[in-house]
Amino acid sequence: MKRQGKLKDEWIVGGHRFSSRLLMGTGKFQDAETMVEAVLASGTQIVTVALRRVGRIPQEDDMLGPLRRLEGITLMPNTSGARNASEAIRAARLGRELSGSPFVKVEIHPNPHHLMPDPIETFEAARILAAEGFVVMPYMPADPVLAKRLEDVGCASLMPLGSAIGSGRGLATTEMLRLILRDARIPVIVDAGLRSPSEAAAALEMGCAAVLVNSAVAASGDPIAMAAAFAQAVEAGRNANLAGLMPRGGGTALATSPLTAFLSVEGQ
Amino acid sequence: MTQQLPEWLDPSPWLDGGGSSPADVERALGCDEPGPRELAALLSPAAHAYTEIMAQRARTLTQRHFGRTISMYAPLYLANYCTSGCAYCGFASDRVQPRRRLEPTEVEKELDSLKGMGFEDVLLLTGERTSHAGFEYLLECVSLAARRFHAVGVEAFPMTTREYAFLANAGCSGVTLYQETYDPFQYDRLHRWGPKKEYLDRLEAPARAMESGMRTVGLGVLLGLSDPVFDAVCLLRHAGHLRRIHWKSGITISFPRLQPQAGNFTAPVPIDEAQLARLVFAVRIVLPDVPLLLSTRERPEFRDGMAGLGITKMSAGSRTTVGGYAGTEPGTDGQFQVSDQRSVPDICEMLRGRGLQPVFKNWDSVFRDGEAGGRG
Repeated sequence: MKRQGKLKDEWIVGGHRFSSRLLMGTGKFQDAETMVEAVLASGTQIVTVALRRVGRIPQEDDMLGPLRRLEGITLMPNTSGARNASEAIRAARLGRELSGSPFVKVEIHPNPHHLMPDPIETFEAARILAAEGFVVMPYMPADPVLAKRLEDVGCASLMPLGSAIGSGRGLATTEMLRLILRDARIPVIVDAGLRSPSEAAAALEMGCAAVLVNSAVAASGDPIAMAAAFAQAVEAGRNANLAGLMPRGGGTALATSPLTAFLSVEGQ
Repeated sequence: MTQQLPEWLDPSPWLDGGGSSPADVERALGCDEPGPRELAALLSPAAHAYTEIMAQRARTLTQRHFGRTISMYAPLYLANYCTSGCAYCGFASDRVQPRRRLEPTEVEKELDSLKGMGFEDVLLLTGERTSHAGFEYLLECVSLAARRFHAVGVEAFPMTTREYAFLANAGCSGVTLYQETYDPFQYDRLHRWGPKKEYLDRLEAPARAMESGMRTVGLGVLLGLSDPVFDAVCLLRHAGHLRRIHWKSGITISFPRLQPQAGNFTAPVPIDEAQLARLVFAVRIVLPDVPLLLSTRERPEFRDGMAGLGITKMSAGSRTTVGGYAGTEPGTDGQFQVSDQRSVPDICEMLRGRGLQPVFKNWDSVFRDGEAGGRG
């Protein structure tokens, strides 16, 4: 049997092509050097940075400077800290000005403790920013209806949460993610809550285009090694999705008293 | 004893006179959603033996929610005029010491000096409301600070909702207001005269600040004034009450401990470093996602050890005198003694040496200032 050559497996968001299916957050590392090393080890091509951590005048804790120096990285400013659509829109515009990137991760969490996204304000901000030409990637609750609404107003991707930010609870929204994936016409990226590479692999196996991680890497024992582990997991999960998993559940053993015995067999 | 407290604050159902057992502590440590009962257990004598386990848990939770970072801020004392008679305070109206306020030009110099040190988060402090340093003065100082800093907080007298709204519109994003002690009897005894004697007015001020749209409110008790378990459970209940009602605002918690100050007040219920550490660990365990602050009241070695073990925000290079950052003689005594007198670079170096990143900017003025937003 002739083995087929492997096609280049790329995904497209907002007209931009990417091969890495791992997106990285940057806000929780012990220093810029570790952050940069982890980004490199992850092989990521999209890195999100919170505008609130970006200085107009770069200082030591400024996130943007070290990332700018990396080649092949698309910056995706995020609006973390915004409590409503108007704050997020202002932050997005400033983020584009400072980073030069049209990408924006719309992140609106009015409650600063559990950081759950506000679906109403997120929809409003996404609608306006998409109309302004941003590549809008909204962080959102895992809500299949909201997903379609966001898609309809021109978002470039959907970023439903696996569980609460920083919780490490993994894919707690699996059933909703399946519904989102079933109908989505744009990439679905699981963002938030992942703790282990196996969870990232599971998201890709389900059919997600990518995952975004931050705490899982930055708060691990060895962030650089963990970033590499996530890169491998994402690749494995994607390959598994392409290969097709075996069917779940019971096999095909024949019952001794078949239910279909009443059917006539013609020609016997 | 506690019938004077509102129902939402009353800690009595969870206080058992320190009778928690090791099994209670272990149950608290294994609880998925720890609350007042678990906090009381973690602060009981039985928890002494679990201090290291609590520290490990506190560090894990802190890293998970806040990463390996410590936010940095600086306090700026604007004035030390005061009409209240708090028995424990160096600024109390019966303390003999020079009184002054920073005039606007001096405030600007101090702010510029702090900005030059790299700060982006400043906390403006005054005493009780006086004709020398009242609301209008504070509002002006907030405006001056907001022109220079992304994050501006205020620690001052209780205000009306309308006044808090004015502060927020001027660029104030946080209000800190410690109840000092939630024990109403001890509160009455220690607050000898003046507006601060009004327990309920002070208790309800954080809610007024949140109602006005203030982004964060800082809570705390002055450790040493009263039973720390009683106060800690009240603090947790206060935080929970505010979070349920004002769900769009955040809470921070500080751990000020009584330090020597003018007047030589002695703490009625002194707590030692080990107790303070366990209190921080316990609060982190029951409130995993709340920023916890530690000031320069504590000695350097203790601050170094606590960074990242629950604590996520620290001051550095602090002065508790009115003025003193801009190279001028402050001309007043401090509100209390600063134990950690290291410079900002020294503290940053210490944090980095412990695998923690000092973060000076963790907020952006664009969230408050509209399209023109953008300081620094």
